[in-house]
Amino acid sequence: MSLKGDAAMSCPIDEVGGEGATMEAIEHRLEEIPLRQVVELVRIDMPEEGMVPLLERGIVPGCRLCPIRRSPTGDPILMVDGVLIALRREMAKCMCVRFAEEEN
Amino acid sequence: MEHCGAATAERQPARPVGPGRGAPLVALVGPPNSGKSTLFNQLTGLRQKVANYPGVTVEKRLGRARLPDQRVVEVVDLPGVYGFSARSRDEQVTRDVLEGRATGLPAPEAVILVVDSTRLEPQLMLVEPVLSLGLPALLVLNMSDELEKRGGGVDAEALAERLGVEVVRANSRAGVGLDRVHRFLAGVLDGTVKPARPPRPFGGGPRRLELPVLDTYIERRNRIRRIGQEAGFTEPAPSPLTDRLDAIFLHRFLGPLIFFVVVALVFQAIFAWATPLMDGVEFLVASSGEWIRDRLPDGWLRSLLVDGIWMGVGSVIVFLPQILILFLFLGILEDSGYMARAAVIADRMMYRVGLQGRAFLPLLSAFACAVPAIMAARTVENERDRLATIFVAPFMTCSARLPVYALLIAAFVPERPLLGPFMGTRAATLLGLYLLGALAAIATAFLLKRTLLRGERTAFLMELPPYRVPTLRSLGLRLVDRSRIFLRRVGRVILTVTVVLWALMQFPTVDGAPPPIEESILGRIGHVIEPAIEPLGFDWRIGVGIISSLAAREVIVGTLGTIYGVEEASEGSIELQAALQRNLDLGGAVALLVFFAFALQCISTLAVVRRETAGWKWPLLQWAYMLTLAVGCAYLANRIF
Repeated sequence: MSLKGDAAMSCPIDEVGGEGATMEAIEHRLEEIPLRQVVELVRIDMPEEGMVPLLERGIVPGCRLCPIRRSPTGDPILMVDGVLIALRREMAKCMCVRFAEEEN
Repeated sequence: MEHCGAATAERQPARPVGPGRGAPLVALVGPPNSGKSTLFNQLTGLRQKVANYPGVTVEKRLGRARLPDQRVVEVVDLPGVYGFSARSRDEQVTRDVLEGRATGLPAPEAVILVVDSTRLEPQLMLVEPVLSLGLPALLVLNMSDELEKRGGGVDAEALAERLGVEVVRANSRAGVGLDRVHRFLAGVLDGTVKPARPPRPFGGGPRRLELPVLDTYIERRNRIRRIGQEAGFTEPAPSPLTDRLDAIFLHRFLGPLIFFVVVALVFQAIFAWATPLMDGVEFLVASSGEWIRDRLPDGWLRSLLVDGIWMGVGSVIVFLPQILILFLFLGILEDSGYMARAAVIADRMMYRVGLQGRAFLPLLSAFACAVPAIMAARTVENERDRLATIFVAPFMTCSARLPVYALLIAAFVPERPLLGPFMGTRAATLLGLYLLGALAAIATAFLLKRTLLRGERTAFLMELPPYRVPTLRSLGLRLVDRSRIFLRRVGRVILTVTVVLWALMQFPTVDGAPPPIEESILGRIGHVIEPAIEPLGFDWRIGVGIISSLAAREVIVGTLGTIYGVEEASEGSIELQAALQRNLDLGGAVALLVFFAFALQCISTLAVVRRETAGWKWPLLQWAYMLTLAVGCAYLANRIF
């Protein structure tokens, strides 16, 4: 996907699972997730170049995130692998996640 | 291991290790906030040199590490990076140095990778590309004390085995682990340390850092996760203090409130605390100048030494108290971890005008002086945002403008209460000037982002480190470092320009003495430009003042004193104010204020912008833009008032 300009920050609509989809299969945007809820990153809807700051820090599809709080301006602050990371909410909109399964 | 056409890289030949070959170079690499620089300071003490990599603006930090057996190793502290994709200059330079392509530096013979062990797995993302260089390597797990205190842990031996590299647990703040690092460096000198043998498939090739794609990152992350598990890495519990403090500092209402209080405090410190120190410096310079004057024979040489060079030195040193206080506060804010939170709060505001949260720190500094502010702009990662920050920084009302403002306001604005006892007309005018500068900055940033620096919105990722208590040692070293940079980079320029201006005022001599100002070269220049500045309400005297303040803005007060024949000229001098009132009308005074608010008259700023943007294009563009704006608005002001 190579979207240019400000359009790079908007995302396609959520794909909703078909009939009988379980909760784990439904994707949400990170932005919508309630605080202190652990989720798993499914994909990042951004041009590859824009993703690199996330990837370099090990925030890749498959890793676990947990929104901890919101900044005074409404941007999410996540805990990932023991690191607190602040993102702009435009970026959080592009991160598709699903609720994490129980740890065994 | 795959071979990646390493033949195409231009390399400096590797220096053979051995006696009489000069000290080998070891590179310190790692993510930001990993304590890498603390380790560097522990290794090198004050035996450091800071310069620029040629052609770019990234700082080269070189030092000599003296081992217990008195042998010496050169260490280069590379910029903190998360990767080598060369999106930023910091990454480009780090790559170049590691691959042996940096001019002026030999290829490093070994590399020390420093990571924060409390955030181990994400930070190990750098391990693969670094190890793939095939150099002898040491992995330093820093902050290991904190790791254990928070209930985490890792088996260093198992990690070493999995990664194929020697691993050391360390706490650089306390010097723990330093002996192991020394032992590694001794091994490099002896040639006994073997190159890292990373397990496949780490890719890359000898001395090449490959450019990964999405899948590479995913695989890498999974590999690191597996290695972490096998090495028994337990994540430390989140610091409860950090969580509690964040609940306050990032609170919806308290957060911004505390932010403004902190900003006001830093402001106040720069202005209130610095003033007595600056007065002290000025007094010392003036009295020692007199002492020198008394001991030298009369003549232009004496004048050169005292009025030119010594005063020039004085006008450089007088900046130091403010710079020191500013960087002390910035150091405390940054080392404690609060700065990251402040950048988050400021980000959305700055995002609206096309800048980003990290630009807030440099722009705040610009209220003291644009020179360190522009140096601080390096923290802005994206090139376009950084250029925009550098470009608008001089609009922030720097402290050098204050004497000029104070003089003109005292001369032309009668003091009357405006907001009851809280604010009078004079303070309101000053505040208005501050706002004018800030508005011009915002408008310019906006304009830049639509025209010259157009580009996609960048990702803003701010890592919020756990709150820590800053150490005196790191604060002290930071202050020494910044002062050295300032004195060296800027001092030279101010001194040169001061001497040049001295010459312009000194010659042509009349009977061996300096001429009256109208007949000096400077005066003649003033007369020449007079027709150009008359529409602004200025005459040649003001013209002379403006030119002379190119060295440093506040110099105009002294120069105006000379021009009007006022002894002991200062902004509080009633005589000087009266002289100005005779010479300027209200329109001209407002025009002069506006001119000073907008014009880039500071040679030092130009010099630093040139350094930071590696060329003359940007400083000249900046100068021309600001001059046009200044002249235009001054003209308007003169017409209106």
